[in-house]
Amino acid sequence: MFNSDLTKHLAELSKIEFTDDELEQMTADMTNIIAIMDKVCEFDTSKPAYALDAVDYNDLRKDKHQSSYPTESITANAKNVKNNSFVVPKVV
Amino acid sequence: MALKKLRKMLDEKEIGAVELTRRYLDKIEKTDKNVNSYITVCAESALESAKKAQELIDAGEAGAFTGLPISVKDNICTMGVKTTCASRMLEDFVPPYDATVIEKLKKDNFVMLGKTNMDEFAMGGSSQTSYFGGVKNPYDTSRVTGGSSGGAAASVAAGLCAAALGSDTGGSVRQPASFCGVTGLKPTYGAVSRWGLIAFASSLDQIGVIAESAEDTGYVLDGIYGYDANDATSSKKSYGNYTSLIGGDISKLKIGVPKEFFGDGLNDEVKTAVLRAVEYYKQLGCEIIDVSLPSLEYAVSAYYLISSAEAASNLSRFDGIKYGFRSGLGENFNDLIKNSRREGFGSEVKRRIMLGNYALCSGYYDAYYKNATRIRTQLRSEYAAIFDKCDVMLTPTAPTTAYKIGEQENDPVKMYLADIYTVTVNIAGLPAISTTCGYDSNGMPIGMSLIGRAFDEKTIIAVCDRFEKDFERKECAL
Repeated sequence: MFNSDLTKHLAELSKIEFTDDELEQMTADMTNIIAIMDKVCEFDTSKPAYALDAVDYNDLRKDKHQSSYPTESITANAKNVKNNSFVVPKVV
Repeated sequence: MALKKLRKMLDEKEIGAVELTRRYLDKIEKTDKNVNSYITVCAESALESAKKAQELIDAGEAGAFTGLPISVKDNICTMGVKTTCASRMLEDFVPPYDATVIEKLKKDNFVMLGKTNMDEFAMGGSSQTSYFGGVKNPYDTSRVTGGSSGGAAASVAAGLCAAALGSDTGGSVRQPASFCGVTGLKPTYGAVSRWGLIAFASSLDQIGVIAESAEDTGYVLDGIYGYDANDATSSKKSYGNYTSLIGGDISKLKIGVPKEFFGDGLNDEVKTAVLRAVEYYKQLGCEIIDVSLPSLEYAVSAYYLISSAEAASNLSRFDGIKYGFRSGLGENFNDLIKNSRREGFGSEVKRRIMLGNYALCSGYYDAYYKNATRIRTQLRSEYAAIFDKCDVMLTPTAPTTAYKIGEQENDPVKMYLADIYTVTVNIAGLPAISTTCGYDSNGMPIGMSLIGRAFDEKTIIAVCDRFEKDFERKECAL
């Protein structure tokens, strides 16, 4: 059963802040969505062997040295940059 | 206008590349306010590209795409041109590199007219979740275009580009093509490099083409396919020449018609039009074979669990720090990230991230994600059995035609269930093409899909082309 505690737990995992009203709406939405997702629980699990990785990686490239993008172009889209570094709130 | 015809007109100097580009830009300026198919119009750079293209044409050095005006979905990275994914999160994001598909077309000096509107982060089937406003259907602007490549489909339908690049994770090229009365090709997984396509669900995403005809989609695919060292999932199994079977005899082909795609939930007018197309192929001499995809009933749930799980992981990179929207709220590191994601993402994106983390989190993983991957394996084996018996499979593209804006897109469950006919193709990694096979009583286009064996785009393009040559397409009112 989906409830607001589970929504809060998922919000924490998802790193998304919600207001109380938004949490309530999300709980209602998720309840309806999970109801159709429950269909997969009816699947006969004895049928196929499950394949976690459905993608073939047969054509992996060889390692080779190549130049990287200039630091300025990588940091150009950040909102707060100083001395070629991303500025964030104090962590410790 | 057909790409080959445009190519000929440019090469034979019936029209100049600059004049051609200017015509499209003028039409975009006049018409797109009614459709909202573009987020960014690149007028200046398009005219510059057209000038260079004309120089190449004059020097006799034109390639297949030199001077051809093409639109690009706004989740495909374009160096120096904003790539927003129709999200506030990336409202100001300017990529420092080009996607591989853009690099390939730039080698020929194509003309990029602009970046097209879409559902935010390609999550949706209506193109109404865009931060920049919804896209309107050129056949009836009170109706949706479908999605997520709704801007791409509308830009083709309204004549605002010669062809469009889109992306398809669960039907996002085919369904809007169906709703907007144009042709949409989703290539085999791995046929086209995903390098530079902003990831939604990496095991399902594929760059595709929307154009006026099957032949045009093949023409563009010839320019963008191929192995790319930057995409470990791209394949060496594609060989190009995607239009080479057009005009050949298709009467010996076997066409599978799966009964599960014609049951409850399929609109009667859509059913009638698609079955009429089946009859058309039968009259040509094709053998029509009843086939079955029994696990279709699990497909929508499996698709949403797998794609959302991958989206939850892929979208964790958007933290407001390295690039993208950054909130002014949050005094510590964690709160800054949480508030940036709260303000930067729209509701549907948040729902998908939450659903993905639900499918992956302890206590639910086995029942949801693991079972979804089992269903994926099962669907692949059911498709393999179908393609042992037939060459292509014919289905409706969507259960309905384009509906009124506001009628359905605010109900996530309804929206998810509407993807029933397209998602299995992505789950199985197969190629498929959607084209118009009729019009409903409101004059809205009805789409049918032809699904092929992996890396056999040539056959579905030829089969689709045959139908298009005998089908009378109605132009939109715009």
